Amino acid sequence: MARGRRSVALLALICALLLHSIAPASAAPIRPISDAHRSAAAELFAPIDGSYGSLEETYEALRTFQILGVEKSAELSHETCLSVAEKVGSSSTPAKDLFYALRITSILGCQIDSSTYDEVASRLHAVLKDANSLLEFYYSIGGLLSIKDQGHDVILSDADGTFHAIKALSQSDGRWRLDTNSAESSTFAAGIALESLAGVISLAGSEVDQSMIGVVKNDIVKLFGSIKSFDDGTLYFDEKHVDGSEYKGPLTTSASVVRGVSAFAAAASGNLNIPGDKILGLAKFFLSIGVPGTTKDFFNQIDSLVSIPLILSLPATVLSLTSKDQLKVEVTTVFGSAAPPLTVNLVQAYSSDSKDELQFDAENVVHYLDIAALKLDVGKYTFVFEVTLHDPDNVNIYATGGQNSIRAFITGLIKVDKAEIGILDSDAGSVESLQKLDLSKDNSVSLSANHLQKLRLSFVLTTPLGHTFKPHQVFLKLRHETKVEHIFILESSARQYKIVLDFLGLVGKFYYLSGKYELELTVGDAAMENSFIRALGHIELDLPEPPEKAARPPPLAADPLSKFGPKQEISHIFRAPEKRPPKELSLAFLGLTLLPFFGFLFGLTKLGVNLKNFPSSPVPAAFSILFHAGIAAVLLLYVLFWLKLDLFTTLKILGFLGPFLVFVGHRTLSYLASTSTKQKAA
Amino acid sequence: MYIYIFWELFVGLGGSLDQNAVLEFVDSGRDLILAADSSASDVIRGIATECGVDFDEDLEALVIDHTSYAVSETEGDHTLIASDALIHSDVILGDKKIEAPILFRGTGHSVNPANSLVLKVLSASPSAYLANPKTKLSSPPSLTGSAISLVSIMQARNNARVLISGSLDLFSNRFSKSVVQKAGSKIKYEKSGNEQFVTEISKWVFHERGHLKAVNVSHRKVGEMTEPAMYRINDDLEYSVEIYEWSGTSWEPYVADDVQVQFYMMSPYVLKTLSNNQKGLYSTSFKVPDVYGVFQFKVEYQKLGYTSLRLAKQIPVRPFRHNEYERFITAAYPYYGASFSTMAAFFIFSIVYLYHK
Repeated sequence: MARGRRSVALLALICALLLHSIAPASAAPIRPISDAHRSAAAELFAPIDGSYGSLEETYEALRTFQILGVEKSAELSHETCLSVAEKVGSSSTPAKDLFYALRITSILGCQIDSSTYDEVASRLHAVLKDANSLLEFYYSIGGLLSIKDQGHDVILSDADGTFHAIKALSQSDGRWRLDTNSAESSTFAAGIALESLAGVISLAGSEVDQSMIGVVKNDIVKLFGSIKSFDDGTLYFDEKHVDGSEYKGPLTTSASVVRGVSAFAAAASGNLNIPGDKILGLAKFFLSIGVPGTTKDFFNQIDSLVSIPLILSLPATVLSLTSKDQLKVEVTTVFGSAAPPLTVNLVQAYSSDSKDELQFDAENVVHYLDIAALKLDVGKYTFVFEVTLHDPDNVNIYATGGQNSIRAFITGLIKVDKAEIGILDSDAGSVESLQKLDLSKDNSVSLSANHLQKLRLSFVLTTPLGHTFKPHQVFLKLRHETKVEHIFILESSARQYKIVLDFLGLVGKFYYLSGKYELELTVGDAAMENSFIRALGHIELDLPEPPEKAARPPPLAADPLSKFGPKQEISHIFRAPEKRPPKELSLAFLGLTLLPFFGFLFGLTKLGVNLKNFPSSPVPAAFSILFHAGIAAVLLLYVLFWLKLDLFTTLKILGFLGPFLVFVGHRTLSYLASTSTKQKAA
Repeated sequence: MYIYIFWELFVGLGGSLDQNAVLEFVDSGRDLILAADSSASDVIRGIATECGVDFDEDLEALVIDHTSYAVSETEGDHTLIASDALIHSDVILGDKKIEAPILFRGTGHSVNPANSLVLKVLSASPSAYLANPKTKLSSPPSLTGSAISLVSIMQARNNARVLISGSLDLFSNRFSKSVVQKAGSKIKYEKSGNEQFVTEISKWVFHERGHLKAVNVSHRKVGEMTEPAMYRINDDLEYSVEIYEWSGTSWEPYVADDVQVQFYMMSPYVLKTLSNNQKGLYSTSFKVPDVYGVFQFKVEYQKLGYTSLRLAKQIPVRPFRHNEYERFITAAYPYYGASFSTMAAFFIFSIVYLYHK
């Protein structure tokens, strides 16, 4: 994250933990709050630098601990009390902070003297008087209520007026607006409003108008009309429009409504008439979240579960016939404590595959049932339970939600029998050779066939109760040497699984690829404890040559890892130097080439060479010497050219030597010519 | 800087995040974690396809595995997979081996064989298949066995990294904290491998590991200090480069024995593995080939899990000058001898011829 070059602002960082944890979990069975919650709470609400953060966060942490019965350190409580007392004492603290501070005080039992309470109460009264938004009502009434709970006398003088003021914000569909100016109404606000109204009723000096309470009750019923549900009976509240800026998510919204409704039900006398299954559905919703990942969600979940009902749960929904598991039913409160005496009846169990219904009315006071006695075969079942409370007084306290249906799997070992494989001749259909297979281990049959023959594979699957078993996954896989795979599903017919592969019809599908095909059989099902994948062996197929227009086999997937790793080193191959004769040979030939020169010298001496014609007078003699020196210089220049000079230097020097040589040569030769002419003439 | 797309969230966001915006984000070199459940929308599928990953058409399809599922008393449909078929790469998954299987529930995807940038990190077992567990199978499933990828990664050419997972639960606290026991195995792990897996792979995705940089690329003639503008054929040269890896906080020397340099003109003429001094300096020396033209020093380093390094430096190579060829060849001595003896003879002959009487 800390890379400077990526300093472009974060586009979107969104955590969907809330939403995501709800939907998948809805299919999972419901379990009561457990120790996992307690340890998670201690982890999540860990104090940082000796405090839980803001007052709101502190309240959420403390309230959660209170409900879950998690120990908190005395030192921390003391410190929190001190800071809260300071907040309460200060006259500049807003109503929201006062509200949370007072609630913390009541949880921790902090000592605050009554004069401070009087002062705070009068301040909250003042806020309440000018209040025009729902949250102002909520905080001030909630604060006053907390003061009252501390044993301090607080009376709301104009209870009816406040009640009307809050009620004025309600909408016809049971939802509330957050303030008078806002056009948007929300379910979340409805929860807040109901909690405030409950506070008003508790704080009222005199009786609040019963007709008004009746209207609010009616609103609550309407609100429950907008409840949303998942397939499995889980219910929750959510906003109609999820795109608003005030959108809180289903958990917060549901928690708000549940808090409001339960507070209102406690404050207002008389029954609210909310069906037990609604309450149970909401409880399921909160429990289905499991252990939430954020403190806010955690608090909302725990706080709204306080008030509700009994739940029925199956600790295990996968029951094995092999290990003779018992169908065990737990009935507890949402926090996992024991329920009052009651009876659980298994009313019905039906298999989701075969749809045949099994009726039971065996009453079991104990919540155990031996599945072997039920004569249930392996498969997927839906059990329907009914909970009856023994003590009629408890009926008003606990919601049981009528019939509970729970899905469960009963698993067992499936017997695999009569497995046979072989090649059939197409025309006769006669069994040429069928080999027995033992599907409890890998096999290595080796078959061969041409395109006019057929492959036959069959086996029988039976359940522990002797019925034919139809697993979800029965695949026969043929894999060619080139990794081209073909999968066939085996169909059950006449109590056995059988497949006959007619290669004549499959040549096109097989891309006319002859050669060795590996056979692999996979049989698996959720209810089958011995699901297996077995190699059967191989079949050597001899298929005809592909016609012109046959489909090509798909290109082989190149190993994506092949591009990694070092490549083969390459070193350049240099041009080989030309072949040369050995040095000795060259030197020998050098000697040979010099021989004629020595022969020439020898010949000259033999001839008796003399230089009598050399000019005797000094000027021609000087020219002659210069002429020969010039020739010698030119020849020497050639030697130098060979040794070190380059062509340009050589030509330059030759440019000077040449005219000089022509000049002296001319003088020498003309002198020699004139002397020889004179001699002839003489 | 990064986007996480946990699918369900965007169901309601309609329009505020479209495929092109996300792809542009990746194109600009930034990283993405894409986790989709079986209900992944067309946008997610589109993004995934652009990254070389194809999700199944069937929205209800889940990965089912009847032989390597996670044993659970409450989840009986075998869609909770316990997989340990991880890619073998320390840089992607950390030095510490992930012992416990990884819990997965969701849809599978296949990796496009034509895309060489995408890799399977977590694959399904051979007995897995992709189907709707609630309905009977009527036709063979589109994806089976190890071809199913549960989690894939893609490192684009601009080194942007994308993680694609078919399961959202994979990232959840519930999965990371749950006890896991693979079917058919006696070993029960107190904690699934999810937390370690997610932590390690997100470190990789966010470039906290496996990010390389190359600096101080230089080359010179053996024995010289400065970089020449041109080499002559058959020169001996030295090439060196420094490579560092980002450790999350600082650049540490990168040590490996498979960094290679190419001397390249249309095709590599020389390809040599560089040796390193354990402090990040890689060097080698070789002889310039006897072919002239415009060459390149090329380092194309691609290693599993690392960002790829592509360095190229152009350098011309010239042939010998006329005076740089060999001058005194023994084999030519007879010719030298012949011409010089002729010259000497001419000199003597000219004197004898002119002055003999």
